[in-house]
Amino acid sequence: MSPAAVELDGIWKRFPGVIANAGASLTVRPGTVHAVLGENGAGKTTLMNCLAGVYLPDDGAIRIDGQEVRFSSPADALAAGIGMVHQEFRLVPTFTVAENVVLGAAPSILDMAAINREVAALAERFGFDADPERPVWQLSMGERQRVEILKALWRDARVLILDEPTAVLTPQEAVELGAVLRRMVEEDRAVIFISHKLDEVTSFCDEATVLRGGSTVAASIAIADVDAGQLAELMVGSSSAVKSLAPRVGVAGDVMLDVRKLTVTDSRGLTAVDALSLEVRSGEIVGIAGVAGNGQRALTDAIAGLETATSGSVTINGSDVTKAGTRERVDSGLAYIPEDRLGVGLAPKLPVTHNAVMRSYRTMRQGPLLSWDRAKAFCSDLISRFEVKVGRFDDPMASLSGGNLQRLLLGRELSGNPVVVVASQPTRGLDVAGVGAIQHLLVKQRDEGTGVLMISEDLDELLALADRILVMSEGRIVGEFDPRQASRAEIGEAMIGAHA
Amino acid sequence: MRRLVLTRRESPTRGGQPIAFLFGLAFALIGGAILLTISGDPVFDVYERMWERSFGSLDTISATFNRAVPLALAGLAVSIAATMGLWNIGAEGQILFGATAATFVGRIFPDLPGPILIIAMLLAAALGGALWALGPGLARAEIGVSEIITTLMLNEVAIRLIVYLQTTKWKDPDGFGFPQITARPEQARLGIIWERAHLGVLIALALIAAFGWFMNRSVWGYELKIAGSSPKTATYAGISMRRKVVGVMALSGAVAGFAGGIELGGSAVRLSENISNGFGFAGIIVAALALMRPSGVAVVALAFSALQVGGLSIQTLGVSSAVSTILQALILFGAIGAAVLSTYQIRLVDRKVTT
Amino acid sequence: MKRRLLLLLSMLLAFTLVAAACGDDAETDAGSDDSSDSDDSADSSGASAVTAAFIYIGEPGDAGWTWAHDQGRQAAEAATGATTITFENIPEGSPEFDQAVRDAIADGADVIFATSFGYIDAMEALSGEFPDVAFDHATGYKSNDTNFGNYFGRIYQARYLTGLAAGGASASGNVGYVAAFPIPEVIRGINAFTLGVRAANPDATVTVNWTSTWFDPAVEGDSAQALLDAGADVIAMHQDSTAAGEAAEAAGARWVSYNSDMSAFAPTAYVASAIWDWGPYYTSTIEKVAAGNYSGGAYWGGMDDGIVQIGSLAADVSDETRAVIDARTDEMIAGTWDPFTGPINDQDGNEVIADGVVPNDGDLLGMFYFVEGVIGEIPEG
Repeated sequence: MSPAAVELDGIWKRFPGVIANAGASLTVRPGTVHAVLGENGAGKTTLMNCLAGVYLPDDGAIRIDGQEVRFSSPADALAAGIGMVHQEFRLVPTFTVAENVVLGAAPSILDMAAINREVAALAERFGFDADPERPVWQLSMGERQRVEILKALWRDARVLILDEPTAVLTPQEAVELGAVLRRMVEEDRAVIFISHKLDEVTSFCDEATVLRGGSTVAASIAIADVDAGQLAELMVGSSSAVKSLAPRVGVAGDVMLDVRKLTVTDSRGLTAVDALSLEVRSGEIVGIAGVAGNGQRALTDAIAGLETATSGSVTINGSDVTKAGTRERVDSGLAYIPEDRLGVGLAPKLPVTHNAVMRSYRTMRQGPLLSWDRAKAFCSDLISRFEVKVGRFDDPMASLSGGNLQRLLLGRELSGNPVVVVASQPTRGLDVAGVGAIQHLLVKQRDEGTGVLMISEDLDELLALADRILVMSEGRIVGEFDPRQASRAEIGEAMIGAHA
Repeated sequence: MRRLVLTRRESPTRGGQPIAFLFGLAFALIGGAILLTISGDPVFDVYERMWERSFGSLDTISATFNRAVPLALAGLAVSIAATMGLWNIGAEGQILFGATAATFVGRIFPDLPGPILIIAMLLAAALGGALWALGPGLARAEIGVSEIITTLMLNEVAIRLIVYLQTTKWKDPDGFGFPQITARPEQARLGIIWERAHLGVLIALALIAAFGWFMNRSVWGYELKIAGSSPKTATYAGISMRRKVVGVMALSGAVAGFAGGIELGGSAVRLSENISNGFGFAGIIVAALALMRPSGVAVVALAFSALQVGGLSIQTLGVSSAVSTILQALILFGAIGAAVLSTYQIRLVDRKVTT
Repeated sequence: MKRRLLLLLSMLLAFTLVAAACGDDAETDAGSDDSSDSDDSADSSGASAVTAAFIYIGEPGDAGWTWAHDQGRQAAEAATGATTITFENIPEGSPEFDQAVRDAIADGADVIFATSFGYIDAMEALSGEFPDVAFDHATGYKSNDTNFGNYFGRIYQARYLTGLAAGGASASGNVGYVAAFPIPEVIRGINAFTLGVRAANPDATVTVNWTSTWFDPAVEGDSAQALLDAGADVIAMHQDSTAAGEAAEAAGARWVSYNSDMSAFAPTAYVASAIWDWGPYYTSTIEKVAAGNYSGGAYWGGMDDGIVQIGSLAADVSDETRAVIDARTDEMIAGTWDPFTGPINDQDGNEVIADGVVPNDGDLLGMFYFVEGVIGEIPEG
């Protein structure tokens, strides 16, 4: 038997206060797509960063094709044939596809025509559709991801690591990606596929390794032998299925959020939201489905006051807040869970307490001073009510796991007794338990009479939670569906603009 | 194949900073020794002299403290602006305009009793510095003009303003026609508290402590931390970035201007364009070496002051001012290298080429 | 962000290094702590036991003001066997000066020679604090009668002589003067120079262009160029740089230098120079300090003391002009004549000094008008 393409053996990696990997192991055979599964905080990303040369493991061995190696930088890993496509792409927007692909690995004589041809040929070989001369800023997220993959292939990566690759893709693009990965393994390369989505894992991958608490709980199990339920059980440690949520109890009440003919122009001068109207009533969850990049973020930012409306109006609980700042909107009863939690909703480097009181610190002032006693009491109450796992209050926010970050953020927003909650991708990137907890909180909020506007790219989630589903495409609402009657196919068609 | 790589530390090593600084110092001293050997100066005497004249006696320590005052305040000013990711390159001009404003008060009320006049002059200095930084703050907040450019250019304006006053409106009538500004009122001198150290030392320490306390305890400080972490988060939290940018620049300028007032009352007799003496620029290095922490600013300023005081004193050994300046720069390089080392690490690695 | 910061820092440091490296590596006196040195050259009255500190605004490499003082220091050191200490590049009105003086005193300095005007406040304060040390301040006006004095020279006398040479050298009668600051010292020099020019060439005029600098080669070069462009064929100047001379050389015009004989910098343009010789003054002051009879006060020496002189004359200066220069030199050394001997009219033709009158030192030191023949204004002060 040929040696494993990648063998990680007993990897330990500690960060201040956290053990990310506690003797994790992973063996990937050439010619396979290997899933690495685990909840948030299970140590998947850290383990992959060790393999990709981003981190140096504290202990343990890395073997490539049977030979032990030690990487001190991603360049080292790349030289050894390990390529990684991160969740955030590392591309130069103003460069062309080909220029990005060869950046740092170009032949010493730069003949762009020849390079363009070679890049096109490489793309062709793996079944990509890529124009080497297009600048990257013109590309969609899915196309950019292909450029990242091409970059690795240009360097002849034998092992390609994809960190949650489908998060930015449309369903169609995800299927195409699956085909590309097949071509790669046909050439005897190995692919490591990190994902939360069990259905993708079962459809794309050959084998799976499951991590829990920093160590391996199931190594190289054949996907053919297990079903999604078993994998979920391995990940969370017990057989807790996704909660089925209680349907709406009451009837929708007064209009809490009224968006009228809202138009938002983005920084590039393009129309992101196009004369969009919608309303959210008390006691209902309105879901917005749509492929990422169709104006969802501009819509929620404009409702929350982070983005300026070009025209139209936003009314919260009867008061017109179109021209108001963020603070007035919160005072009118808005809670906002932004898509970019760490970049917008939280200050990751600041202590937990600072983050907990971000909405309420103005009520804790004593003259020019801030009462930290009251802030700590508030934080402590928030943490216990919303079951946030925190080390010390002084720890930086970023030291919390994704699920706990989101719980604190959601808890903070809900603690102001809002009349309307705008939640953008509230469960994205969370583990199974985290998703359940956040969904439960939103449903509970609805049942208490709050109007909820929920933006999600996960259609199953909307189908399970929403009382109405609006489909957004190119800045407009292109369809409204009743989740109890509509089929996935109908909604999916609306999402990709098949009818409008 | 072996090579050196520089990688970012995942977290600053505990206790690593002092070690890094020792390495930096060792590097600088060895480099300096080579330099001094080339220039034909006595290496050990030079180093001994530098130490002796900065920390060697109570008298010299007190002088080192005095010089550390404007350095620390300028460093504090720069680090205040840095909390918002702003670069105040204009502490030099703010010091000058602060001292100009203090001089103005001294000219209007030449007969006020000393303590009252000193307080009035220091307040005027802070106000002047704030005013000098307000323009760049507003330009940055309202129309996005880089504060680096505007603060830098205002340095020159402040110098020219003083030269103008020197030769015209504020010219000393008793100066035999020489271009100098009338001396400040004699009673506006900061008292000596210990050896040669003047009251400014205590005032600066109190100011640094007060700022640290205010940052941690006040609503304003809290908002500043949020705003400094991310503009989007600040907007989300309902904090006006524009007001924070303007406020922070004004505060930064006020601290630098205050330093100008202290220099006027502590070490100078009259306003001149030399009163800032490069402290504003040195403040940038002080703040950087202190990793932008107010508490660190005081310590680094003291070390920086010792370097400058010691560096000057070696001229009596026959070391030329050029060599002395290079030596000081070398030691600074060592310190900066150490600051880099405490956030990055250098390793010698084997590169294994597979494939 | 961190990287941006370091970039900035390294830029700052790089500038410091460049600035430091640009200045000529000045020769500094070695052997300051070599006591056997003094035995060799010991001459009299224990002056070899004196330590004298010189505090300079610039570096001796400037060939101007500081260079002249450093020449004087070396001459005095050779003549008295005293130990000397130097401080270079000490800014006026900064804490550096105070510290330099204290460092010098800690190293045993008995006398401090401070060679720039702006040291005046610190000199006054320190002379009170250290009564046993002599504080001698060039160009200042403050003093006491024990340990604090000021010293300067009647450079206007030498400027008058260079004016004679310049007047002879100017074909057009249009002479330019690159002036520093509008202070009596500079104005007196312009006036004396103009009197000399018009003594040799009665119809000539001297056009003044202010720079408000003491040392800024770029500004001073530009200022000279502006005068040349306006038709001047001889340029005189008051600053410490050679830039005006280089501009004149490039334009094929003539140049009168100041501070030192700068003929090497513009060999074709050079006509004459008004120069300092501080050596005799420093020597005698160090001897006074050694003898314990330094007593402060003001010193304003002239040609008679040799502290001011006229430098070498260009080869093409006519015998006639040389004869006049020699005659006036002798009269000034003898004390029988001064350039400001009346009658002298001001710019507007009003008589300011009556026929046969020689103004007293107070009037000379406060001179704040231009004499007839000067074109230009004294900025309001």
